[in-house]
Amino acid sequence: MPILREGELDIISHSVEQTQRLGARLGALLQPGDVICLSGDMGAGKTMFSVGIGRGWGTVIPLTSPTYNLIHEHERQADHKRLYHLDCYRLSGPEEAEQIGFDDVLNGRGPVILEWPEHIESALPKKRLWVELRILEPTRRNFVFNATGSRYEELLKAFRESAFGI
Amino acid sequence: MTYILGIETSCDETAAAVVVDGKTIASNVVASQIDLHAEFGGVFPELASRAHVEAISVVVAQAVRDAGIAYDKLDAIAVTRGPGLVGSLLVGLNFAKGLALAVDRPLLGINHLEGHVYSLWLTEQNRSIEFPALVLIVSGGHTELVLMTGHGEYKRLGGTLDDAAGEAFDKVGRLLGLPFPGGPNIERAAQMGNPATYKFPRAKLDETYDFSFSGLKTAVMRAATVPPSAEARRQRGGDKKAQLRTGVSVNDVAASFQAALVDALVEKTARAAKAHEVTEVMIAGGVSANQALRQAMRRETDLPVRYPPLNLCTDNGAMIAAAGYYRFQAGQRDDWELEVQPMWPLTRSTYAIES
Repeated sequence: MPILREGELDIISHSVEQTQRLGARLGALLQPGDVICLSGDMGAGKTMFSVGIGRGWGTVIPLTSPTYNLIHEHERQADHKRLYHLDCYRLSGPEEAEQIGFDDVLNGRGPVILEWPEHIESALPKKRLWVELRILEPTRRNFVFNATGSRYEELLKAFRESAFGI
Repeated sequence: MTYILGIETSCDETAAAVVVDGKTIASNVVASQIDLHAEFGGVFPELASRAHVEAISVVVAQAVRDAGIAYDKLDAIAVTRGPGLVGSLLVGLNFAKGLALAVDRPLLGINHLEGHVYSLWLTEQNRSIEFPALVLIVSGGHTELVLMTGHGEYKRLGGTLDDAAGEAFDKVGRLLGLPFPGGPNIERAAQMGNPATYKFPRAKLDETYDFSFSGLKTAVMRAATVPPSAEARRQRGGDKKAQLRTGVSVNDVAASFQAALVDALVEKTARAAKAHEVTEVMIAGGVSANQALRQAMRRETDLPVRYPPLNLCTDNGAMIAAAGYYRFQAGQRDDWELEVQPMWPLTRSTYAIES
């Protein structure tokens, strides 16, 4: 786990289960308005990591792939707060993001997870946590976290402490 | 006789139908957007909403005309309220509200998944359906295993933990370079392939009735494609797609993938049928059109297996009208405040929730 600089984290997950556990660590730390971008090829583990985030955050209904419906809006029992899970694969640009109510989602009512965020890059807030997922071997995945903005640097620091104790 | 108009716009079909007494189809009109979306390999939301707006009034008028009735003959207007794409659902719901107001008939918001269930009541009935029955709903956006103990009485036994079955078909179809939609094209390729070529994983998930197709998708990708080179990946706008391995038979991969997916579906369904002592097994939704799934289900269980005719597997207005009939009989009446419900699981409390 080389720490390149503040605001960056480079790790390897060895299994789907580990990917979900890492997601859960991150999910437990999320606050309304947080934007988490998950970028990577099909099969890289974006949805598996999202499932973990949802579990850690505490959704009533477990997260599943939002590819078909584009936006999944989840609630948690404890405080009825919302978490948004988006798949931008089928969006062709920022105009379409607007069409599906992306602005509403970003209004800070809940944390937002985006898969295929590069499809609507110019519509994304500049401050965010960007995660690049890569397939290394059948079950091994490389995660590179990049935080932009003080909130996300703090979030990444807290995640590192929670997941790795350092 | 009770005439229900059903309107469905939750995804890429603009559909309307008139159904009499919840079982007889008086008309069934579907304007499909498949050609519109084929070149993009999936439904594009903005195109979908715009196409719904353009088609809805024509489709509804045609449905009423085909039924040979006037609007005042309708007893209620049923419309899909969710789950689905927000923009697409809104087109149908707003149109239904306007129409209900104009012709002074009650409005009923219907769950899309319940619509798929009631597509099974629109088949030629050799014998009536006895409860409890088990329903496997498999489509592009859904994979749900539901125990039905009476009209409108559901218990969700399980569902997908990641990709829906139809979504897995679409994604694997794309990997293999097959045209959209993936389902029928993979089925066609599979007929010419050997399903024993690859041993793709069947997710175990132990004693639950949940499904997982994400690992299967990744296994297919590993077997059939080579990842893009690091250089191609770095290049902006470069070809980042995985390429098909040379010498790989698309037909064999398609057949092996379909066999693995079907296995997982029928194994859990048959086990649930036994555990809950149901009288029959029903399959609905777009993927229920798959012949390999139908055959495997008949092989796996001794119970009668029922599925809709092919034109009622995919989204249509008749199934919404049929579900609407039972809701109408049960006394449901919705008001003008009715909102779309993009996430709306089919469970015991489906109609008890407030938006």
